[in-house]
Amino acid sequence: MYNTAIRGPLIKGDKTIHQITEEICQPIDRRPGYWWYFVFLLCLGALIYGGWAVYITVHEGIGTWGLNNSVTWGWCIINFVWWIGIGHAGTAFSIFLLVLEQKWRTSINRAAELMTVVAVICAVHFPILHIGRLWDGFFILPYPNTRGPLWLNFNSPLFWDVLAICTYFMASSLFWYVGMIPDLATIRDRTTSKIKRAIYGFLCFGWIGSSRDWFRYEKLSWIIGGLTAALVVSVHSIVAMDFATSVLPGWHTTIFPPYFVVGAILSGFAMVLTLMIIIRKVYKLNDYITDSHLNAICKILVFISLIMGTAYSTELFMAWYSNNEYEMFTFFHNRVTGEYNTAFWIMLISNAILPQLFWFKKIRKKLAIVFIISLCINIGMWFERYVIVITSLTKDYFPSNWADYRPTTVEVGLFTGTFGFFVLCILLFFKYLPMISLYEVKGVSKYKSN
Amino acid sequence: MIGTILGVYEDEELLISALQKLQDEKIEISEVLTPYPVHEVFKIMKRKTRLPLATFLFCVLGVILTYLFLYWASVLSYPLIFGGKPLNSIPSFILICFVMMIFFGVFLSVIAFFVRSKLYPGKKAKIHYPRITDNAFVIMIDKKPEMSSNDIKQLNSILKDHGAVEVLEK
Repeated sequence: MYNTAIRGPLIKGDKTIHQITEEICQPIDRRPGYWWYFVFLLCLGALIYGGWAVYITVHEGIGTWGLNNSVTWGWCIINFVWWIGIGHAGTAFSIFLLVLEQKWRTSINRAAELMTVVAVICAVHFPILHIGRLWDGFFILPYPNTRGPLWLNFNSPLFWDVLAICTYFMASSLFWYVGMIPDLATIRDRTTSKIKRAIYGFLCFGWIGSSRDWFRYEKLSWIIGGLTAALVVSVHSIVAMDFATSVLPGWHTTIFPPYFVVGAILSGFAMVLTLMIIIRKVYKLNDYITDSHLNAICKILVFISLIMGTAYSTELFMAWYSNNEYEMFTFFHNRVTGEYNTAFWIMLISNAILPQLFWFKKIRKKLAIVFIISLCINIGMWFERYVIVITSLTKDYFPSNWADYRPTTVEVGLFTGTFGFFVLCILLFFKYLPMISLYEVKGVSKYKSN
Repeated sequence: MIGTILGVYEDEELLISALQKLQDEKIEISEVLTPYPVHEVFKIMKRKTRLPLATFLFCVLGVILTYLFLYWASVLSYPLIFGGKPLNSIPSFILICFVMMIFFGVFLSVIAFFVRSKLYPGKKAKIHYPRITDNAFVIMIDKKPEMSSNDIKQLNSILKDHGAVEVLEK
């Protein structure tokens, strides 16, 4: 096995290449357990609730949401930013670690890439529904039209956002799909069912693994990886600019772009950790997703969490140091204390304090605690977006504008629906496609541990 | 070419030693099939690609086309001033050009890869050996009319001596 001085063997058990194929493809061959059907039904339930919420939103309009004249962005934008943040996991894992030649990514990257694609689909639901008149949604696209022609405002971050997210979705989907082609060919060649062979044969583009194709394929992975790595930074910076280019206290800060990028990577890594612990347990893949893998993610989380803590402190410090009464009010009377202080403290504890427990090896080795902390980070990152969006909007410069915000069941339904969709996609993916990259794992298993 | 000789291996190191021997004997290898990318094989087979250059050109194309479009839309087609900014608003355009550069670079590179490798959805794969995508490493050598039966025997023995689990003639 590939054995590094720092991390030890990447895959346990001195496996043969054939054994790797068989073990990773096992969930595709066998019938899923009862738990699979149970979670599947739960997801369908969530999707039905979400479908009802979409119907109400489209049929009756966004007046069914808890928005008002002051809080014009509510749960939808919070959830949009949250999902986009999670959508950075795949890229952060696959691409950054690919570019940095980190071999341990091989057991995790496939699931992380899937998370990216599905999370971005979940995220785009929200701004699309927020348009209200969905049928006029194409107005956001730059095309010659009969309205003047009236072009878009190319100086607006909202337009940049559409462009960046579409490009990100395209690039990450291609990266994910192209990365799966050799593995689809493996399933094609080992299946005994004619229907399956036809489907996987169609999907794998006639791949046979010639050295000429592999050589180009590796170059292509680096090309997509290198270009998309730059995109990760720009996508979330642009999402941050949606807020930062406004004049609201709490939003109008130059720290937002890096702060959002780091926040996205924190939530993405936390979600990967949550998912990997579940996969490892449910599919008994301890030899592939080893303690060493989880340990490495925990160490990265400590580092990112420290940056998050610095960002939170910087925001508070700048509000105090600027001596701007509006900034002081927003941060110290509407976040640290005041009506929304619970959300603020959940955010701070979950994102900046709890991950610091990963400094201790004993904690990193206890998977139950690691799992709970990873969930806390996911929740904490949701609250971060809640704090940013809601506290600044409920109390702006003009006290007569001050309003309260409570989400309605329709908004909750939209979020639940996307969650159902996310889990459902993951379940189906694990049933029909290899959840760990076969060819990459085989590539790192080529060296014997002795 | 009157057929193909296949040397099947189950170990990457044996495959590489066989390839080196064949190279020393100046025997032309038509292709090597592996279940995962093996860098030594690329070196022995002297693989080269112009894909990175193509990507660079796609990126340049993306930037130029996007900037021309933005200039035409903002300055020529509908010159409307937003927020006191100039019509040819370079800082905003840089960002859009950057994103579109990546769009063109990624999308067209993937298309170029598929076109150049002649891979497309539904393509019927020519399976030379059943376990190629699982655990078999295969060396393919074209049988040429000028090859004598002795040459073929010698070739077979080289492949077997270097650990081939199977040598097939097709």
